[in-house]
Parts: sequence; structure tokens; C-alpha cells
Amino acid sequence: MLELDRTSLPASSEALRADVRAFLAGQQEHLAEPNSDFTTGHDPVFSAKLGARGWIGMTWPVEFGGGGRSFFDRYVVTEELLAAGAPVSAHWIADRQSGPLLLRFGTPAQKQRYLPAITRGESFFSIGMSEPNTGSDLASVRTTAKPVDGGWVINGSKIWTTDAHRNHFLIALVRTAPAAGENRHVGLSQIIVDLRADGARVRPIRNMAGGEDFNEIVFEDVLVPADRIVGEPGNGWKQVTSELSYERSGPERFLSAFRVFVEFVRLVGPNPLPHESAAIGRIAAHLMTLRRMSASVAGMLNEGKQVEVEAALVKELGNNFEKLLPELTRLAAPTDRTRDSAWRRSFEMTQLLSPSFTLRGGTREILRGVIARGLGLR
Amino acid sequence: MSGARMNNDPNEPLNIIVDTANRIFADSVDKAMLDAAESGRFPDKLWQAVVATGFHQVGSLDSGTGLPELFALLEVSGRHAVPLPLAESLLANVWAGAADGLSSIGLWQGDVITEVPWGRSAARVIGIRQDSREVVVVDSVDTTAHGANMAGEARDRIAIPPDSPTMTVSSDPWTLLALARAAQTAGALRTVLESALTYAGDREQFGRSLSKFQAIQHSLAVQAAEVAAARRAVWAAVDSLDTQRARAEVAVAKIRTGEASGVVGEAAHQVFGAIGYTHEHRLHHFTRRVWAWRDEYGNEFSWARELGAMIACSGADSVWSFISGR
Repeated sequence: MLELDRTSLPASSEALRADVRAFLAGQQEHLAEPNSDFTTGHDPVFSAKLGARGWIGMTWPVEFGGGGRSFFDRYVVTEELLAAGAPVSAHWIADRQSGPLLLRFGTPAQKQRYLPAITRGESFFSIGMSEPNTGSDLASVRTTAKPVDGGWVINGSKIWTTDAHRNHFLIALVRTAPAAGENRHVGLSQIIVDLRADGARVRPIRNMAGGEDFNEIVFEDVLVPADRIVGEPGNGWKQVTSELSYERSGPERFLSAFRVFVEFVRLVGPNPLPHESAAIGRIAAHLMTLRRMSASVAGMLNEGKQVEVEAALVKELGNNFEKLLPELTRLAAPTDRTRDSAWRRSFEMTQLLSPSFTLRGGTREILRGVIARGLGLR
Repeated sequence: MSGARMNNDPNEPLNIIVDTANRIFADSVDKAMLDAAESGRFPDKLWQAVVATGFHQVGSLDSGTGLPELFALLEVSGRHAVPLPLAESLLANVWAGAADGLSSIGLWQGDVITEVPWGRSAARVIGIRQDSREVVVVDSVDTTAHGANMAGEARDRIAIPPDSPTMTVSSDPWTLLALARAAQTAGALRTVLESALTYAGDREQFGRSLSKFQAIQHSLAVQAAEVAAARRAVWAAVDSLDTQRARAEVAVAKIRTGEASGVVGEAAHQVFGAIGYTHEHRLHHFTRRVWAWRDEYGNEFSWARELGAMIACSGADSVWSFISGR
């Protein structure tokens, strides 16, 4: 049976919350268009400010530039940034999963080389998993890295790579050796690729909302130095699946539509009609419960526990909620007052982003499969 | 399975209560008892077992237990569809002093108390009103009408004798009873899910067990997520009872367990097919209860209205501080 602990955030983490709010109050130039979706707003200047406050790599050891703090502290900082609609996408992936991956599996030299720059908000990473013929079936990747004198030569392509046209590095899942018959998990490796390297062509892909956040990357004989393999060659499958747990339980999995909620409350004012207040209350009930669940998972991460199934649970509920939220506000909104409202702008942007909520970071179908495995069904 | 236990320390009072209650209820509450209770026969022996264990005083002063233990016990009672007015007895004992006889609670409306669980068998009935801490205590119970909710749970009407005393209780009765139903619901939903998981593993169609079909796996995954959310919401509310946020957190728990009841009840019945729709099957003792409890002490809409009004009143720029408050 899947249960989440009765964990609440410790008082010390709550004290940190006040610091984050005070900081954000002075950052109006970065908050002109607040959007709680973590992929909107690539702002290296803002990321560097967060780095200077010690709010990137918070849980990492001090020797690598980290804060040596708890997952509760990181939870508070990340949810405060998202709720305010701050531009966090530049450092988000490096902070959330590339850094923790290197910390867990990287060589000492890799940790020294990459982690301190990430914590300063100067070094940004993208995720290199999907390919044109590889979506949810991740083990089917065809991009290869072949050993040559002085390193590896990469050929193939990656797709849906958020911010590859803006970030510095990609951690790509590549095939370094053939699969062992039926076992496709053998022979996969993760490798750090400089996105400006010769032979790497990055082409932005326009999404249905009109934005250009994700990309296709084509690798033609891209030479990568030997020391860029993360951990052991051939260990890529184990590493990439462990990385996904970090990706799935955080507040970015239920706060993407949060600004729509704020603007809806503004739209209806202090004395809402019954159906308007009921919509607000229903949204709040889901949101408050998801926060508790996500904090429970942060507590498990703090204790070094495996959270794969619990994280999938939070993402499944959180993504569904992110889609429900705009819809509840749309149906309750007073139509005579919505034209030119901040709610309307926020609603339309989020509605157009919403198909991605249940795709990125593992589709709804994959997550339900993970939960089903946790229930012993497969 | 650990039930409502909060950690693995077997000596925690809360865990002792949960483990003992799970054992007693699993041994004694069966389909025959549930059917008898739903046809109007009060389960005397079960009540005697509760009194013998001292469970009727959980949460009361001098019992060494408090509201967390009380709500943990109610969650366990939901897991077993215990056909007693346990929530009402426990809370009546907290407010009006522990009594060994059966106590119950209903809605105080003029000179009657309505919707009283097992009013016909109670020695003491307390009448409460929404938004009031003043309650009326009836010690000589005269039942004027028998009734039942959609789960077949006794919901009676009793007369209030003219000289019945009133008293003011220390915490809002409506809030605690709403949370009681939420806790019972979290427990019952867990049993619904466990039953569906077991059935999906046992039942074979097209040459394989239902649990091997992806459509069924995904349905059960959705149910598991709802059950986990419902339970987390209940315990967030229990943990907030001594704070200013109690009312808001109970609203969340009542709304979230109510929504989960709709989703899980529907999906679990679909997994069971026609057999789960029969009276002979035990599933409906749980699904009918969670459906009925949604509407007792405020349904999702009424609690959402109240919660939403609180948030709207604090203003758009305070939404996040409200949501993230503690």
C-alpha cells in the first residue's frame, strides 16, 4: 500500500521562507510577467542572483559549492520561486537533476569541474533523453558514442530538449555498446556534451503556444573528451532511471498553473459568488494536499530513501491538477469581466502549455505504470 | 499491513491503538454483522468489546491519548466499516465526560435532534449546530423516528426534553465531526482499494488475471493516488487542530476525501464488475458509506465555498501565503 508519511516542514525551513519572500520583493524587474511554469523565463542574471544567495545546489556538499542543507529547505525555496512566477528555467535542470546525478555517479574530477559553477548560477544543463524515434521507450535510444583516441565520437540526435539553444551542457543518454540480445539496458551510458561543440547543431522547435523552448539537436561526429562519461560506461540505464525520481516529486509538478489561480482570485474580488468561491476552495484543497504530499517525499529524500513510486504518485496527481485548475476557473469566471483581464492572459498561456504537463518528465501512462509496479501489479 | 500507523515504533500509543483496533475489528466485524446492523440491529457485543478495551475513552481527558489517537482510531473503524457510532461516542465523551453507555451526536434543530447515528440505542445524545459551540445534552433519550443514510447506517430523530441542559464545548463540533467523517472515509477507501487489488489479482479473463491488463493497472494506479491524497489530507488536518488553520485544513480534508470517494468508488466497482454490484458482496458496505459520508457535516461544495471565501477575503496577493501557511 502506498502511503506518505505525516511529515511537515521543520521550523527552520519555514524561517527560510521569509528570506526568500524578502528577496523576491526586491526583484520586480525579473517578475514583470510572472509565470509559475518552470520552463518559462530563462534569466541568467536572476539565476546568478539565486546562486549568490546559496539557493542553487542547496542540498549538495559544501566542498562542491553546495549548501549542505536539507531537502525541506530546497523544497521551500523552489516552491516560493514558482509561486511568485520567477524566471527559473536557466538553472532549473542543473539544480534539480544534473547536479544530483553528477554528485551520485560522477567522478571526483567531474564534481569539481561542474558543480561549483552550477551553484553559482553560471552553468546550465539540459536533459538528453528523448530522440526522434525514442519517446517513452527510453531504452530504444540510437544515438551512439564510439571510443576513439582521446575520447568519444557522438552521432545521432536528441529531441524535445528544453533550452538546449540557451544552455551550456547536455547530459545525453547514448549507446556505447550493443544491447545484449533482449536486454537493451546494457551498453547505455550518460555523457556530458558541450552544446557549442563542433558538429552539434541545435534547432529550436516552435511549440503550439508560439514559444521556442525545446529543440532538436543533431550530432555529427561530435568529439567528446574521454573524461565526460558520467560514472561508468554501461551504467547509463541505472543512472537515468534514478535521476527521474528527482524529476517527478517537486512543486513544479503541481504549480505550473498557479498564476491562473491568483489572477482568478483577483478577478472575482473579495466577495465572490458561491460558485466562484467554491472553485477557489476546490483548487485550494487540491493544492494544499499536493504540497503536503510533496513535502512528505522531500522528507523521504532527506532520509536517503527510494522515492520512485511516491514521486510518480505526486506527479500523476499534480499534473492532473495543473490541468484541472485553469478549467475550474474558466467555468466559474464572470464572462462579462474577463476580456483584457490578467486572468484571461494567464489562462490562455497556461491552457496552451497544458498538454505538455502530462508529457514532460514521464507521460501519465508511464507514471501510472510506475505506480502499478509499486502496487505489485507488474 | 500497518493501517493508520504513523511509523514503525510498536510502542507508540497511537500505533498500539491502531494495531489493537485493527485486530479486534478484523476478528469481529463481518458481513453478517454489517447486514444485521443495516437492518436495524445494534451490534451490542461489538460495543461491549470496545468498552472492554477502553477504546470508547480514546481522546478523553486522563486517557493518556488525544485527538491524533482519536482520529487514528476512527480511520481504522472506517477500514472495517465498523457499524457503531464510534466517532460520536468518542467526541461526546471528550466534550461531556466519559460514559460507559453509548453516546451519540446529531443535529440540534428546535426541539429535536436529527440524523443521530443509533439514536435508538443511545443512553446520551448531544445536539450540535453548525457554527456554534453551544450544544444540548439529552440524557433520557426518546426516539421519535428511525431512519438511515444511503449506507443503511442508522440515523434517528430524538426529542429534546424541555429541561435538557446546554453547555459550551471547547472546540467547534461541526469541524471535528467533519474531520471524523473524513478520517473514516480515508480508512474505508483504503479497504476499497485493497479489495480491488486482491480481486484484480485473483480474477482471470481472457486467460490472464485482470491485474495484467494495462487498463486495469492504470485504473488501480489512479485509485491508489486518490487514496494516498485523501489520507494525507486527513492527517494534515489532524496535525493542524491546535492551530488557527484548523478550520481551513479540515475543509481541505473533507473536500479531498469527498472527491476521492467519488473517483475510487466508481473505479473500484468497475474493476469488480457485476459481482461487486451484488448485495452478497461486501464491497458496497464500504462504497455506500464513503458516498453517504460525503454529505454528512458539509459536502465538498459547502466546504469549498467556505474555504474559497476565506482565500478571496485575504486577497489575490495573499493567496500563496494562505496556501503555504501553517
